[in-house]
Amino acid sequence: MRIGVFVCNCGTNIAGTVDTAKVASEALTFADVVYATNYMYTCSEPGQQEIQRAIGEHGLQGVVVAACSPRMHEPTFRRAVEKAGLNKYMFEMANIREHVSWIGNDKAANTAKAADLVRMAVAKLRFNQPLFSSKMPVNKRLLVIGGGVAGIQAALDCADGGMDVVMVERKQYIGGKMAQLDKTFPTIDCSSCILGPKMVDVSQKENITLYASSEIESISGYIGNFTVDIRKKATYVNWDACTGCGACMEKCPAKNTPDVFNENLGSARAINIPFPQAIPKKAVIDARHCRQLNGKKCGVCAKICPVKAIDFEMKDTIVTEKVGAIIAATGYDLFDHSVYGEYGAGRYPDVITGIQYERILSASGPYGGHIQRPSDGKEPKNIVFLACVGSRDASVGRPYCSGVCCMYIAKQAILTKDHLPESNSYVFYMDIRAPGKNYDEFVRRAQEEYGVQYIRGRVAKIYPRGDRMVVQGADTLLGVQVEVEADLVVLATGIESSAGAGELAEKLRISYDQYGFYMESHPKLRPVETNTAGVYLAGACQGPKDIPSSVAQGSAAASKVQSLFAHDTIETNPQVALVNERNCIACGKCIQVCPFGAIQWKELRGGIKKAEVLPTVCQGCGVCNATCPPKAVQLQHATDNQLLAEVNELCA
Amino acid sequence: MAVGWVKRSAAHHAVSEIERVEKAVLETSRMQLHKLVEEALPELEMMIGWAESSDPLQTTPIFIRDAKSISKLTCGPLCSQNLTGYLVKPPALDSVPKDAKPIGICVKGCDSRSLVALIQEKFLTRDRVRIFGIPCRGTVDWRKVEKRVQLLNVKSATVEDDWLILDDSGTTHKIALEEVLSRKCLGCRYPNPVIHDVLIGQSATPRSTDLATTYRDVDAIEKEPLEQRLAFWQSELDRCIRCYACRNACPLCVCQDKCIVETREPRWLTQRAGIPEKFLFHFIHAMHLAGRCTGCGECERVCPMEIPVTLIKEKLNKIMEEMLGYAAGLDPDAVPPLLTFNPGETEI
Amino acid sequence: MKDLSPRSSAPADETAATTQGIKIVGFLCNWCSYGGADTAGVCRFKQPTDLRVVRIPCTGRMDPLFIAKSLIYGVDGVLVSGCHPRDCHYAVGNFYARRRMEALKAFLPFMGIDTQRFRYTWVSASEGQQWQKVVTEFSEQIHRLGPNPGLKQRSGDHSIPSIALR
Repeated sequence: MRIGVFVCNCGTNIAGTVDTAKVASEALTFADVVYATNYMYTCSEPGQQEIQRAIGEHGLQGVVVAACSPRMHEPTFRRAVEKAGLNKYMFEMANIREHVSWIGNDKAANTAKAADLVRMAVAKLRFNQPLFSSKMPVNKRLLVIGGGVAGIQAALDCADGGMDVVMVERKQYIGGKMAQLDKTFPTIDCSSCILGPKMVDVSQKENITLYASSEIESISGYIGNFTVDIRKKATYVNWDACTGCGACMEKCPAKNTPDVFNENLGSARAINIPFPQAIPKKAVIDARHCRQLNGKKCGVCAKICPVKAIDFEMKDTIVTEKVGAIIAATGYDLFDHSVYGEYGAGRYPDVITGIQYERILSASGPYGGHIQRPSDGKEPKNIVFLACVGSRDASVGRPYCSGVCCMYIAKQAILTKDHLPESNSYVFYMDIRAPGKNYDEFVRRAQEEYGVQYIRGRVAKIYPRGDRMVVQGADTLLGVQVEVEADLVVLATGIESSAGAGELAEKLRISYDQYGFYMESHPKLRPVETNTAGVYLAGACQGPKDIPSSVAQGSAAASKVQSLFAHDTIETNPQVALVNERNCIACGKCIQVCPFGAIQWKELRGGIKKAEVLPTVCQGCGVCNATCPPKAVQLQHATDNQLLAEVNELCA
Repeated sequence: MAVGWVKRSAAHHAVSEIERVEKAVLETSRMQLHKLVEEALPELEMMIGWAESSDPLQTTPIFIRDAKSISKLTCGPLCSQNLTGYLVKPPALDSVPKDAKPIGICVKGCDSRSLVALIQEKFLTRDRVRIFGIPCRGTVDWRKVEKRVQLLNVKSATVEDDWLILDDSGTTHKIALEEVLSRKCLGCRYPNPVIHDVLIGQSATPRSTDLATTYRDVDAIEKEPLEQRLAFWQSELDRCIRCYACRNACPLCVCQDKCIVETREPRWLTQRAGIPEKFLFHFIHAMHLAGRCTGCGECERVCPMEIPVTLIKEKLNKIMEEMLGYAAGLDPDAVPPLLTFNPGETEI
Repeated sequence: MKDLSPRSSAPADETAATTQGIKIVGFLCNWCSYGGADTAGVCRFKQPTDLRVVRIPCTGRMDPLFIAKSLIYGVDGVLVSGCHPRDCHYAVGNFYARRRMEALKAFLPFMGIDTQRFRYTWVSASEGQQWQKVVTEFSEQIHRLGPNPGLKQRSGDHSIPSIALR
């Protein structure tokens, strides 16, 4: 094989701590290397042309580029060598930037290490084989998991593009957290006024299939061809019949059912439609609180229902959908502030969370939009807001900023003044994070026009005095202790990953970070893609996000899906396992261990059994290769001989 | 090697009254075996068992299709070989069609575990074999015999009670059986076949019921400091001539001529006769048996260089038992532990 | 024909130093730890230079024999790193790997190979700092152990322990 080696200076990124010329000259001593050079920016247009020129001029059959991480530019260089007529798998990268020049300053050691990495890459390349993709059809249907604003946006964008969309929402209604909000910052738009029409669109688009009260049971398959089992949870109401008239709710005797939609302020009935604009507007029986389902004689709803939709015998059912792409838009949950003993650990009725206050402010909320204290229904005069409850606090395992609390506190304080002009609002904060368009101006309006008092400092303690709450904290700007007697305290609880996010990630085979937020492919350049092809992210499941960002991500993910669906077929990845039938001893161990069921028996003439890999199902993990005793199954592009070649270069 | 190659003669049975009784037990087992095989043979493709050989200290495998040969079948402490490999390896079965009648086979306790492993890994189906289980009190290691007494021309070797009695050119040697049993037998936990269709003779008492007894030799090595262990294995494995007898004798080494110690695709090993090559060969052999080895000791029995190669696998067996609670060859429905996983085992 | 590019100025015979010193081979899963090592690089987290990384698709690809082979043939240390359990890109590859590597870890010292020369760990693509910690700790450990003594042909005067087997 005639091999060319190109050592990138990457400006001074590599050349600063690696003698690239020396690496190139040493590379010339490696077996099969006939050409070696270093270059200022190999990934640049002229850099790529230099590779292509050398391929032609020196008759190169394989190329090694020593530069940045292959996770960065391997596709770039593969395209470049392909244009010059080589198979793109006759290319190897040595990572001498992230793994060498950026992690050490000792130029001699770095140069030696870079030369070793090039030596290993060359050794591997000598065992490379041209690989070829095949084509497989794309099922142009999209699954959106989560019906919050990000998921709705993604679903509508794709549905507008003419694609079939399946949306799965585990709650009985779509709209997510946004449906619970009263107004939105920084424009004070009414949340349900801007979200409502989108929710209606979802229900009315003929090419959107909505599964509410449903969860993902399992996912199999791969990009272009996923099979998804969806568990439709028993709602005990036949939704095909239910008209959403609400007669059942009025008569249901189980009056002490917690009102989850209203964040447990007030109570609901065991059969419930959580809010008037709910989509789908269908009743669901809460099995934990229904009298009939708990062995008591009742059945009032069944008697009252004009369309006989009640079905106490209903069971969960599984439906199977086939899709070509998946968008995860599972949103977030809110921090449970009861871990803060100093804030009352949830014991004081007048210490509430931001989302509870949101429900109090809402005209469709538990108090009809009139601000009053949960404890005694009195109008509060002094209201204290606490920022960063469960955000930026490593002691409770939440060192990150939730990104939205500063803004919603400002909004809630402004709304409070609108509702109760005589009231006083105080905000305890650490720093004000208001980097969005018109955000800082909005916070300033709260301070300057609405007279909200901002106190920089943490609150040490909240305790009752009479029928009021005392908020004790420090004003770190003035350097004094502050004590405010409050009628109502609002804790701006932070964002955390949605309950069950990890389990879903495992089903999707995507990564998540230590807090349960899903990992994007690249934090800057591939923000809505995951490392699992065909699975995309939108909204707060990827990290704390406000509405504009969630919507933007919903659209971004939709555009990724549309560009995938613009093709009728996709190229398969040829880096999959392949069985050398001559060596296969038919022990079946590969079939036993394959996580994807990608290996099956094949019968040759004479009834001889051999293992066979289904290349479209194989994901290329190589467990079979590691397991196969005679190594008859080899993972292409990471074969035993290729890995051994690399290791051998390090064996003295 | 001074083992005589003279055919054993029945005339040399000069024994005491007690020994005659014990011998009778063995003879009874033999006769029971003959009778059962005779009954079963018409339903069998063939019968695999042991027969006396030209070397009185060793038996030889016999493949019986004809009732006339049944009388050659024998059993007892001289039947060391694990015959189960013949069920999956050439050439014994090359002529047997797939839809043939079942094959009969004699197994000791340890051999039966190999059978279970082969069934478990689907190299065999249970209904393809008729298992003649023979409880075992241990088998004789002829090399241990050789080390105890100078052998010139052994005419006969008989086992009577706890003694091995040799007639060597007119001299009678009486050796305690315990002292010449194979190493693996001394820690045996499964002397009775764990799977069988018929059982011949009386069940035997296990010599070991605990890991410490079974793995005493492993523990002896582990007591030594690391450098000594390395020196020990360097010196032992240095003798390896890479004849692959250990691999070929192993009933579970099913790769045969596809074995990666010999292939170029992939090329794990070269033919260089260095210590690293010898180490890697034995690592490959051992790792391929991890969680599968039943400890039958065939690899060690056949090693011409007397390297304790079973010991290497014993260590892995011990790891599997201690780490994953798994002993191979006991449950035909179990999945070998390295072919499965348990997400819950955070710190194994 | 060897063609030295005009841009390479250094003569070819100067860099013999690469074969000296400690060599550690790292088998890194492409999806997690390789990315973690990239992240550490992007963040300029300084690390010892002994590690040479082999990129593998998944720790499930790791036949323990790669580790054994490296140590038998004189590599000073082997570091395997993949996705955290339950976070495998291929769902379960690292579960298989964990059992196999645990078995090897327990087996190596029996054969006289210091188990401290082998470590496996889980580092995600986001954990640059953790990667720096792992590499630094492991490199320091190997430096403390010194070069791999390797396997020597038996020399006559070398004392062989007499271990009494049954």
